[in-house]
Amino acid sequence: MNGFDPFSPGGLLAAGVVAAAASLRLLLPSGGESRSLRWLGGLLGLAALAAFIATGRRLGGLGEEAVFLIVSLVAIVSAAATVVSRSPVYAAIWFALCLAGVAGVLLVLGAQFLGVATIVVYAGAILVMFLFVLMLAQPAGLAPYDRVSNEPLLAALAGAVLLGVLSLSIGRLSASPSACCGLPSRTGPAAATAPAPAVTDADPLAADHVARLGGELFGRHLIAVEAAGVLLLVALVGAIAVVARGEQARAAAAADARAAGRSLSR
Amino acid sequence: MNPSASLPLLQNALTVGAILFSLGLVGILARRNLIVMFLAAEMMLQGISVSLVAWSRYHGDWGGHVLVIFVLTVAACEAAVALVFVLQAFSRTGRLDAAAWQSLREANVPRTVDHELPPIDTVPPRFPTLTPAGVLPPEDEDARLERDHV
Repeated sequence: MNGFDPFSPGGLLAAGVVAAAASLRLLLPSGGESRSLRWLGGLLGLAALAAFIATGRRLGGLGEEAVFLIVSLVAIVSAAATVVSRSPVYAAIWFALCLAGVAGVLLVLGAQFLGVATIVVYAGAILVMFLFVLMLAQPAGLAPYDRVSNEPLLAALAGAVLLGVLSLSIGRLSASPSACCGLPSRTGPAAATAPAPAVTDADPLAADHVARLGGELFGRHLIAVEAAGVLLLVALVGAIAVVARGEQARAAAAADARAAGRSLSR
Repeated sequence: MNPSASLPLLQNALTVGAILFSLGLVGILARRNLIVMFLAAEMMLQGISVSLVAWSRYHGDWGGHVLVIFVLTVAACEAAVALVFVLQAFSRTGRLDAAAWQSLREANVPRTVDHELPPIDTVPPRFPTLTPAGVLPPEDEDARLERDHV
């Protein structure tokens, strides 16, 4: 029976999760805060990051490790900044940086197409839409609801509990995937009975990565691609319909108000 | 399983995905601005995408990649529709505040009241300025006239 060792992986993980929760509690916008407390929160966040880096697994090559570390740090730090920044415009811009980090992680994982698509679709289209809405709807200066949070302590605790449970289960992964997850192995009976897919050799690191991904997408998942196209069209029409109905309702309300005013004055 | 599969890379990438997901959860629980809540939800989707691609790399299977492509599609649709709703909500209340719609809460939930709002940061934002370099040149009459036409 050994005592609690703060430098064992489990101890580091627990310390990191607790530090992350405390840092988020201090950094989230809430009532009665001071600048020094926010500095303390930032330091605690750095400590949590250090703990998580220390519990990370070695990847083998130093170059791969360094690249993965940098892109994941960019993603995580800017994600935290998105959540805690007071100004929603800054939050959106931090989120763009977070997307760049996530795209880097995807590239390290060998998903070239998805890394570029994340940048193009998210940062190029969705985020610009967010910024448009912000510019349309943001009042001047910081609104009062941007300076307070709903239950920052409980929210940080919920996030920490989720993160702790997920990290524990990630740490317990072992290298026997077909035994633990019941995935059909390629040589098992399921592979013999199932119809052969269009692309049999699925190595994400192959040279013709995008061509194989396209073959898979438009081979096995053709129906889903068509359904996604219909979904995009429905979302487009639905968004325009909601806007049009809102305009009609507002015009009707204005007409009602005018009629009521006329009847009052009469 | 493909030979390039490595368990440490999978675990590290899953940890990054878990951290992104948890941060998004904290954001969506704690923040009050509708658009920031929405950004937090998108961040949770990013965490899911990273995890899916990591599993895809580990198993040497294209399923995760394909699923992430559909996640991107659905996220685009969701952003379009939800931003329209956010705009409608803003045009009704004039606020991007989730608590502006608290009349929709359940009967036994207490009302959200803002007491002791923190003061706005008194430090004004610092914008970059240009240092004046050298003396101001004498103004040329022709140049001034030309400039007026620009």
